[in-house]
This record gives sequence, C-alpha cells and structure tokens, in this order.
Amino acid sequence: MCSARLGITVVKMQSALIADRIQFAFTIMFHYLFPIATMGLAPFVAYFTVKGIRNNDQTALRTAQFFGKIFALNFAAGVVTGIPMEFQFGTNWAGFSARAGSVVGQTLSMESVFAFFLESVFLGVFLYGRNRVTPGFYAACAVLIWIGSWLSGFFIVATNAWMQHPVGYVVTKSGTIELRNIGAVLLSSFAWWQYVHVLDGALLTGAFILAGIGAYYLLDRRHVDFAQGIVRAGVTVGIIASVIAIFPTGDRDSSDVTHFQPAKLAAMEGEFRSERGAPLAILGMPDTQHGVLIDPLYVPDLLSFLAYGNFRANVNGLSSYPSADRPPVDLTYYAYHIMVGLGSLFLAAMLAATVLLRRGRLFESRWMLWILMLAMPFPYIANEAGWTVAEVGRQPWIVYGLMRTSQGTSPTVVAGETIFTAIGFAGMYFLLGVVFLFLTLREIGHGPEQ
Amino acid sequence: MNVAAFVVLAAMLTAYVMLDGYDLGVGAVHLWFSKTERGRAASFAAIKPFWNGNEVFLIAAGAALFALFPKVYAAAFSGFYLPFIIVLWLLMIRGMSIELRGYFTSDIWNGFWDVAFWLSSALLVLFFGVALGNIVRGVPLDTQGYFAGTFTFLLNGYALSVGALALTALSMNGATFLWMRLDPDLRPRAQTLMRALWPVVLLLFIGVTVETIAAHPIGAHVGLWIAPAVALAALIAVYASKRAGGALAASSAFLAALMASAAQTIFPFLLPAFRGGGLDIYNAAPNAYSVGTALTVTIIGVGAALCYGTIAAYRMMRA
Ligand code: HDD
Ligand code: HEM
Ligand code: HEM
Repeated sequence: MCSARLGITVVKMQSALIADRIQFAFTIMFHYLFPIATMGLAPFVAYFTVKGIRNNDQTALRTAQFFGKIFALNFAAGVVTGIPMEFQFGTNWAGFSARAGSVVGQTLSMESVFAFFLESVFLGVFLYGRNRVTPGFYAACAVLIWIGSWLSGFFIVATNAWMQHPVGYVVTKSGTIELRNIGAVLLSSFAWWQYVHVLDGALLTGAFILAGIGAYYLLDRRHVDFAQGIVRAGVTVGIIASVIAIFPTGDRDSSDVTHFQPAKLAAMEGEFRSERGAPLAILGMPDTQHGVLIDPLYVPDLLSFLAYGNFRANVNGLSSYPSADRPPVDLTYYAYHIMVGLGSLFLAAMLAATVLLRRGRLFESRWMLWILMLAMPFPYIANEAGWTVAEVGRQPWIVYGLMRTSQGTSPTVVAGETIFTAIGFAGMYFLLGVVFLFLTLREIGHGPEQ
Repeated sequence: MNVAAFVVLAAMLTAYVMLDGYDLGVGAVHLWFSKTERGRAASFAAIKPFWNGNEVFLIAAGAALFALFPKVYAAAFSGFYLPFIIVLWLLMIRGMSIELRGYFTSDIWNGFWDVAFWLSSALLVLFFGVALGNIVRGVPLDTQGYFAGTFTFLLNGYALSVGALALTALSMNGATFLWMRLDPDLRPRAQTLMRALWPVVLLLFIGVTVETIAAHPIGAHVGLWIAPAVALAALIAVYASKRAGGALAASSAFLAALMASAAQTIFPFLLPAFRGGGLDIYNAAPNAYSVGTALTVTIIGVGAALCYGTIAAYRMMRA
C-alpha cells in the first residue's frame, strides 16, 4: 500500500513538472517574439533618428518615426508578456529560485535596474515628447533606448548562460547554490558568445523586417523613396548578420556545446552511438526507439571535424550517457536542423539581394522582392528554434550538472493549478496576439507619414 | 547589511506605491471621474508617458527580492500561486488598456478599454492592500516558509480593511494627480472628488492604525510613533492644501508614511508567520557576498534611474 501511495505522489509530481514546463515554454516563446523585434529594430530607429536630426533629412526622420511606431507596439507587447516571466520563477519554479536565486536573481535584478528603467523612461520621451524636448535630447533618447534594449538582452542571456554553464558559485552545506564571484558570471565567455549570437539573431530579424516591408511597398508601387531606403538598409545589415550568425558565433556556440554539454550535441546531431570519424547528418529523421536516423543524408567525417577539428576524432553518442541524463532527441534534433537550415537560406537570399543591389537592379527584380517580403516570418522561426535547442537540449538539468529540472518546481503548486493558469495565459495571449497583429498590419498599411 | 537590504526593499516598494500610485489611482477613479470622452482621454494622456517607468519599480522590487532573499521570493510567490497569477493578468490587462485606448475614435473600442482600465486598476490596488494586510498580520507557514493555510484565511477583517484603505487612499491620490495635471476646466471636478474621498480615507486610516497597534503594541518605543504621526499630519495637509502640487506632495507623503508604518511593524521579518516566527532578513538570506552584490547593484541602478527619470520627467513637464 505504501509503495502505491508513493507511486501516486511521483505521478502527481511528474504531471506538475510537465504543466510547469509547458506553461514556461509557452509564455517565454511568446514573450521572445517581441524582444527579437525590439532588439533588432532599436539600432535602425536610433540610426535614422540621429541621421535625420543631424542632416535635417526628412526621409530619415519619417523612417525613424515609422519604425518607432512598430518598435513601440513590440515594446508594449514585450512589457505585457515580460512581467509574467519575471515572476514565474517564483510562482512555478520555487525550488529552483530558492536554491539558485542567489545567482540568477542577481542578473535578473541587474536587468531591471540597469535596462528596464532606461528603456521605459526614454521611450516615454521618444514617443510622447517629440515637440516637448530639444532635437538633441530627442536623438539621445533614441540611442539610449537602443542601449537599454541591448543591455536587457545581455543580462537575460547571462542568466540563461549561467544555467547552461554555471560558474562563479559555491554549493553550501544546506545544498543551496550561492554567488561567489559576480565577475565570473558576467564575464563568462560562454555567456558572451551566446549573447553575440542572440543579438545577431535579433539584428538579422530587424534587417529582414526592414527589407520585407520595403519590398512590400515596392511591389505595391507605394512610398518608393522611403521603401528603397529601408530595403537598402535591411539588405546591407542583413548580409553581415547572416554571415555572423554562422561564423563566428554559431560555430563558436556549437563548440561550447561540444565541450560543456556533449549530450546536447549528440541530441542536436542525432548521433546515437559513439564513433570515430562521425558523419554530419544534413537530413534524416531520428527513430528514438531503434536509435538510428531514417533516410539520412550524411557527409562523412564532418561532424568529428566541426566538433574537434579532426576528421578522425571520437564523438560520444547518446548511448554513452545514462538514460536519466539524456535530453529529448526529436525536438532538439529538428529544432537544430531548422535553425541551421534557415540560417543557410538567409545567407543565400541576402547574398542574391546584395549582388542585385550592387548592380543597381534590386528594385526592379520583382522575384527578389517577393522573396524578401515572404521571408519576414522565418527569422522568427529560426530564433525560436534556436532557443528550443538550447533549452530542451539542456534537459534534464535546470542548472547544468548541478540541479535537475524535476527538483526545480514549486512544492505547493499542483498540476491542476498550473493547467488552469496556462489556459488563462493562452487565452490572454491569443487576444494580445490578434490585437498586436492587427495594429502592426494597420501601421504597415498606412505607411510613413507624408 | 541585511538591515540595509530590508530598508532598500521597503524603499523600492514605497517608491512604487508613490509613483505607480498616481496612475493606479487615476485608474481606480476613472469611470467616476469623467463621463465625457474629452475628460477620459485627458486622464489617459496625463499618465501615458510615465506609467511604464513607474511600473518598473514593481518589477525591480520583485527582482531585488529574488536576488537579496531568494527564499522569500520563492515561498511567497509560489505559496500564493493563484492570487499572484491573477495579479499578473490584471497587470497585463491594465497595460493593454493604457496602450490601446485611443488607437481608434470608436466608442465601443474606447468604452471597452475604459472599463478594463478602471476594473484592473481598482482590483490591483485592492489585491495589493489585502496582501499587505495579511503580511502585517502574519500567515500560516510550514517549516520551509511555504504558505500552509487556506484561501479563506486570507480574507480576514483586518486584511480587508487594509485593502479598503489602499483603494480609497490611492483613489484620492489619483484624483489629486488629475487636479494637478489636467486642463483648468477639468480641475474642479478632480478636486471635488478628492475631497469627497478624504473623510473615508481618514476613517479607514484611524481604524487600521488602531487595529495594528492593538495587535503589535508600540508601547515605549517612542520612535515608532513617528510614521503614524507623519501619516496623520500628511493626510490633514492633503485636505488643507490650497494648491494641487502641495496636495499631491502631501498625499504622496501620506502613502510613504503608511508604507513605513507597515515596514516597521513587520521588521525584521519579510514573511511573518501567523503566530510568531517566519522568514526574516537573516534566515532567508544567502551569504554576505551575495547580499552585498545585490544591494550595491540595486542602489546604483535605482539611484541612476531616479536621476535620469527626474531629468526626463522635468523636460517633459516643462513644455
Ligand atoms: C535568426 C536566427 C539564427 C540563425 C540564423 C542561427 N541561429 Fe543559432 N541560435 C539562435 C538564432 C539563430 C538563437 C535564438 O539566438 C539561439 C538560442 C539560444 C542562443 O544562445 O541563441 C541559438 C542557439 C544556437 C546554439 C545552441 C547554443 C546553446 O545550446 O547554448 C547553437 C549550437 C547554434 N545556435 C548554432 C548555430 C549555427 C551553427 C547556425 C548556422 C547557420 C545558427 N546557429 C544560425
Ligand atoms: C534567457 C533567459 C531564459 C531563462 C533564464 C530561461 C529559463 C528557463 C527555465 C527556468 C525553464 C524551465 C525549466 C526547464 O524545463 O528546464 C525553461 C524552459 C524552457 N525555456 Fe527557457 N529560459 C530563457 C530563455 C528562453 C527563451 C528565449 C526561450 C524561447 C524562445 C526559451 C524556451 C524554453 C523552453 C522551450 C523550455 C521548455 C524546455 C522543456 O520543457 O524541455 N527559454 N527555461
Ligand atoms: C525568462 C526570461 C525572461 C524574463 C524573466 C523577462 C522579463 C522581462 C520583463 C519583466 C520585461 C518588461 C520590462 C519593462 O517593463 O520595461 C521584459 C521585456 C523585455 N525583454 Fe524579457 N524576459 C525574459 C526573456 C527575455 C529574453 C530571452 C530576451 C532577449 C534576449 C528578453 C529581452 C527583453 C527586452 C529587450 C525587453 C524590453 C521590452 C521589449 O523590448 O520588448 N527577454 N522582459
């Protein structure tokens, strides 16, 4: 009887864990849609504002105003969906917060006091103070908003990077994980490479948004001057960002994963068994029951080379880890291949657009404009897929190697409560999403002020 | 240093109550204050550039609690799971209403967000008040510091009276803010509203103070009378003040003194248990290096934010 009771308790905890994970994954993935755009658009808004004010360039000012409005919509949605994120660590992950809060609380608190204040104060001036403050102060606001949004990204990525690769901590006698060296946490090279990759993903998204909206106006034969300007800016930044996503940042992230989280690498690559001279799977579907890839397309020895710089190096497969330490394979594998596949396509598209731009034929190439316009949603998919790799591949750890996700939940919160609130969030976010899309499309429909 | 951490946290929450207090208050009186489109639009215009910056104090206070006293953050947020999530939803609805109202000139659209704004603001203030009341009173906790009571336990007379005080005091604060910020022709209405709320605030204030002192006798500690006395003086000054700016300053001082009274009552506990004990600034704190780091970061960050926030607000209001 006793063991049956125990069994029920375990099942109860399991379902609470699953509910917590679903709610967290859903709310963070929804939240992240907006910071991508704000971090990606902020430098463009700042650039056009400063350029417009310095040169008294009306087109640049109109561009800044137009993207300022799109930025503001994303910012508002980011704030509304960000607040639940901040507090969910306490509500749903109390075990994690109580044990690791001494470290993760630091970076989250830095984000609030260094970044959120900066962004919200100066965005208020930027949006409502156009005629109330001097032009110089107005331009400074645009730059400060940019700094704020990138700082915010840094502190949140530093938080996540610590969960991926903990440094600068001590484990106390009572088992809590406490801060020992804040410098080590903030200057961790894992965090900085992850940050540059994340920022670049956002910048790439911003560039595709500019190019895509511009392409739409050109195809529609409206606002031609304005549209040519933003397509040019989008493609110029887009080609650089597409390259940086792959090299050096994506490459460096992979090698960090290889060194610090080898089980994640095996899941990303669908590498079930250890082997020397491991091939790189370009395509193929993992069959987790039999531990093989179905219909694979392999490049021989390449994985060994990419991971260790040596074509004959040994790559550990999933079978070399105890099953309790393996991350889920399917999701990690597909998410990784989607990100890398899309990254290659972005590079191809931006390369073609750059060549056409250089030859002065981009604005007449309707096929290329169609591609740029339709490409707009895909950077979002690549970003979300990348986070899925990072977070699902981190399982079963909530703090890699130190604390398991199953130990992180709240002891007092049961599955039913989280299911209820997750449904509530879903409803609220659906409403928010519809309103957000409607207003954004409406702004795009209006176009810039004359 | 743990005492300093307590003071900084209390100061951040007080800043939140003083600053977001005026836009929450504007929300709580929104439907009563003005029946005309112009009046309602003016209320929104008065708070739109500032509300988000004010709300960051709440986020920052939550994050500072996380960094300074992780155990309290974990126990309080998960222990009161549903009320907390409802607060999050109300914050979301409120944020949407402020950002979205006025996007179209449509009575249906604006009417919808008017009601959403009023309801979410009023409920938030009520929730915050009831929560504060329960914290001052103490709640049943298990050995880890997690809430071990029932939902109905939280709906006691004392907590509800603090909730009512919070609602009326912030409503009065919001009306005072409108009196200061709106166009001259709309001001008399705001002033009348403020004066109508005043006697209710006074009664509730006296009732809550008597109840609190009965439960937590101040006795010989003369210094502890300061905060309630300042609160009373400030409240009288609100009514006596001829100018809106003076009344708003007095009203803010009143709110700050209330927060100070609450803080001194629970000190050194952050989450007191109902019959003694609970999570305090020593048993809930990590090592000294961790507390020191979080404290330094908070003081520098908030200090800087107050400086540039004031500069920005000054430049905006000057026009
Ligand atoms: C437009 C966005 C985008 C594009 C084109 C790419 N990535 Fe990426 N990637 C991200 C956006 C992103 C991200 C969303 O920003 C992630 C999620 C977590 C993170 O650190 O960055 C990420 C994570 C991420 C990780 C996991 C890091 C971890 O687990 O900590 C690896 C190994 C790579 N990326 C590697 C690549 C490679 C080799 C790419 C080559 C094409 C690539 N990424 C393109
Ligand atoms: C940078 C700050 C972030 C932090 C601190 C963070 C933290 C967490 C935490 C605490 C969990 C729950 C425990 C777990 O399942 O491991 C989690 C899970 C998850 N997060 Fe993140 N996260 C961050 C960013 C993101 C972003 C931006 C995304 C996606 C857009 C994301 C996607 C996910 C997903 C999909 C899960 C569920 C994993 C699973 O259940 O297998 N995370 N993350
Ligand atoms: C679990 C992780 C996360 C938490 C707790 C969190 C928390 C928050 C909060 C509370 C806000 C509102 C701030 C305000 O009122 O101004 C916000 C907005 C923001 N967040 Fe997140 N966030 C998370 C994940 C992320 C990630 C992964 C990124 C980017 C890498 C990010 C970037 C931003 C940015 C740039 C903003 C400013 C508003 C905006 O630009 O949309 N956040 N976040």
